[in-house]
Amino acid sequence: MKLEGKAKMLRIYFGEDDNWKGQPLYKAIVEKCRTLDIAGATVFRGIEGYGASTLIRRPHLLSLSHDAPVMVSVVDTEAKIQQLLPALDEMVVEGLIAMSNVEVIKYMHETAAAARS
Amino acid sequence: MLKAGPAKKVIIYVGEEQKYHGASAYSAILDFLFYHGVAGATVMRGMAGFGADHHIHSDRILAVATNLPMKVEFVESAEKVEEILPKLFEMAGTGLIEIQETTVAKPAATGKKSRERAAEATTLRSESTAKIMWIFVGESDRWHDKPLYRAILECLRANDIAGGTVYKGILGYGANKRVHKGSTMLSHDAPMMITVVDTEEKLRKLTPTLDEMVQHGGLLVMSDVDVIKYTRGYAEDDRRKEARA
Repeated sequence: MKLEGKAKMLRIYFGEDDNWKGQPLYKAIVEKCRTLDIAGATVFRGIEGYGASTLIRRPHLLSLSHDAPVMVSVVDTEAKIQQLLPALDEMVVEGLIAMSNVEVIKYMHETAAAARS
Repeated sequence: MLKAGPAKKVIIYVGEEQKYHGASAYSAILDFLFYHGVAGATVMRGMAGFGADHHIHSDRILAVATNLPMKVEFVESAEKVEEILPKLFEMAGTGLIEIQETTVAKPAATGKKSRERAAEATTLRSESTAKIMWIFVGESDRWHDKPLYRAILECLRANDIAGGTVYKGILGYGANKRVHKGSTMLSHDAPMMITVVDTEEKLRKLTPTLDEMVQHGGLLVMSDVDVIKYTRGYAEDDRRKEARA
């Protein structure tokens, strides 16, 4: 797969405890991206934050109750991102989805690197 | 103030125990230079030497380390040297005075001024447009025997990039479709993201280098950002340095 030039970057913000069909929402989103053959997706866990609910999410280091803020970053062409958006709209009940224009400088994987050398 | 260009370097040789009006000759000379607006001067103590009297002064045996050779050096403009030379003749007593033609390649600046200049050199300014770059790599990726994310950060620093931050993800996949999990405590294969902000010019210049580092899989994307504020706390930094000293 090739990705170059103009692309879109999505950032989806929600809570770590959010679920979708019995599994963590962030896992569900990554899986959805994979089934749609999206170039890549990465999940980050924040250390503190608040969102639409204005409830501060603050995970405690030693406690088992989480609900830390979570951000999923997705990069692909506009067409691919548009394919993903309806699904996200349905999955993210409470949270934020932001999109920005990006320029891909490099998109590389090991097998391609091996083929080139 | 000393300017770049031709200048004179004056070297005065005296003995450590040589006196001028009751004070050490070298410190009297240094004070004289200081209060006559000389740009800067350095006093050096030799280990051994001999002078006009052919008596060897050495620090070989501590007890007899007497009257070691002292050298006072300074660089000034020709006019300034001419102005203060007669007095130096008197102060140096039996010592030698040497004058060399020299060239000031870069005049010294006061710490404050050089810091201001360093700040000017940083092209990223508050309230300007700049670029943000995201670099996605794996935690286990390596570059010359060190973690790739750390190598990238070091590379950014070495290239005077305004700033970079490494984030560790908990789950992700990329170009090779392999899932990276970083959620468990023992995992060493988390997805990593480095964000970098600087001017387009500086980031474009750095791109080939980063391109080469991210050879074994990764993603580099760039986007526009507005810089609202970019400052650095000099005062704080200095205070910390003082505390350490």
